[in-house]
Amino acid sequence: MDYLIDLVIIGLSVGMVYALVALGISLIYSGLDIVHFAHGEIYMIGAFIGLVLFQRLALPYIPTLLLAIILTGLLGIVLERLFYRRLTRAGGGYTVAGMGMIIAGFGMSIVLQNVAFLIWGAKPLPFPVPFGRPIELGNLTLPMSYVWIVAAALLLMFSLNLLLRKTRLGLAMRAVAYNKDIAYLSGVNVPLMISLIFGIGCALGAAAGVLIGPINYVQVLMGIGVLIKAFAAAVVGGFGSLPGAILGGLLVGVVESLGAGFVSGTYKDVYAFILLIVVLLLKPSGLLGVEAKLKA
Amino acid sequence: MSLSARLGYEKRQGRVLEINDLIGGYGSVQILNGASLRIGRGQIVALLGGNGTGKSTLLKAISGLLRPWSGSIVFDGSRIDGLRPDRIVRRGLVQVTQGKEAFPGMTVEENLSLGAHVERDRAKRAASLERVYSYFPMLKEKRGQFSGTLSGGQLQMVCIGRGLMSNPKMIMLDEPSAALAPQVVLDIFRTIHRISRDGMTVLLVEQNVRMALLLAQYGYVIRDGSIHIEGPADQLLHDDNVRLAYLGGTVANREATLRR
Repeated sequence: MDYLIDLVIIGLSVGMVYALVALGISLIYSGLDIVHFAHGEIYMIGAFIGLVLFQRLALPYIPTLLLAIILTGLLGIVLERLFYRRLTRAGGGYTVAGMGMIIAGFGMSIVLQNVAFLIWGAKPLPFPVPFGRPIELGNLTLPMSYVWIVAAALLLMFSLNLLLRKTRLGLAMRAVAYNKDIAYLSGVNVPLMISLIFGIGCALGAAAGVLIGPINYVQVLMGIGVLIKAFAAAVVGGFGSLPGAILGGLLVGVVESLGAGFVSGTYKDVYAFILLIVVLLLKPSGLLGVEAKLKA
Repeated sequence: MSLSARLGYEKRQGRVLEINDLIGGYGSVQILNGASLRIGRGQIVALLGGNGTGKSTLLKAISGLLRPWSGSIVFDGSRIDGLRPDRIVRRGLVQVTQGKEAFPGMTVEENLSLGAHVERDRAKRAASLERVYSYFPMLKEKRGQFSGTLSGGQLQMVCIGRGLMSNPKMIMLDEPSAALAPQVVLDIFRTIHRISRDGMTVLLVEQNVRMALLLAQYGYVIRDGSIHIEGPADQLLHDDNVRLAYLGGTVANREATLRR
């Protein structure tokens, strides 16, 4: 029984990381109509930025997390302005530019991997954060790193919800996600909102990277596996749906953890896709999937 | 109308919008073929024409959704052609699109608030909201409902209300009566009249020609992307060309025509 609870807790905390990345992918998809295939690399770059801040600049963990989120968000805005914007324009406004956008995403992913390789090398680097002693709850011992992940991720999701639901800016972003012409005619600076949406998506990826860093090593290729899991999570929850991304992330995390614990750890990466296939067979639009028209 | 009469009319009213020789379209398809029109401050001006004559394209060119190829658009004393749509909204010119496009995942109040995006002052946004609710009391009752649950007439009110939220100098309405019940159309037209009486300039694009001309002071008839006929509304209402082309005449007229 304790073993089961342990697995669920590990699954939930890793699931939170998937959820954050999936949230970024879904946010970018709803705002820009593009599937951002370089999002795993944004997560990786975010983790490295966090590592630099933590080790070289010797910042405490919370400022490290916040600063890494902000810096990666800004990097995202620069990437959107410099590269993706040209492609969306070429596709006739901010709509799907088809194959070009997908290939551009993969290209960006390769470029970012190699840039990171040139700066930080190929060796996995440790991200040692002294979180202190594990929390003891009856028979359970919770490592603090997991508690941190869950708490920080929940806080970020809560803030994102607050931003989108309660602020003038959030309302404008939702409008842009639903219909860019009507957003324009309501006086919304659509290109600026698109940059912000992309930046926030990247910031969420960076948060995931900095949170997982202390558990795993930080390395150049860490984004690939996470991208695929987060992608599965987004599809399981319903692509473009933000609550769906969170639910999907947690489900993928827990299913993976239970599978690894009870069946076999060797096939750890398979369980997420079994879940994906089952969900797609039963509900092709994803668990919380909505008609595209309702995504705002 | 004679030139001197038109100049007199313009002098009395003062122009808020002046469009000269506007040419534009989608891709390589030219829709607007040198459209020119003038709108006096505080007026209701009707823009009439059948399907595919360029009415909506002209509105999109004015509101900035479509960049005109050539020609000029002067609003309130300065050129606005080529500006981004949100900049044009900031200058006080708002378009309400055809098709009652509200955001179904947002409540009525959120939909309306979005229209006041350009206003940073919270108190002024609240005042705008109350003003819109005074035009459409129905929306106040439904403020917390998702707009996806509204009827067509209520959706149209949300869209017009959203357009009014930024307190524009001029509002352009694209077929506000389309696909609505006659009673609702009457309500909407009554409200448009009130909005105009409160000082706003209105450009009304309509298929419902008779109603539009009864409400407007001046009218333009667009055909093949340029202005075909123009004149004071009461004159257009009795103009034989307009009647034949768009009003269809009365039953008695039609029977008389058939007998001939």
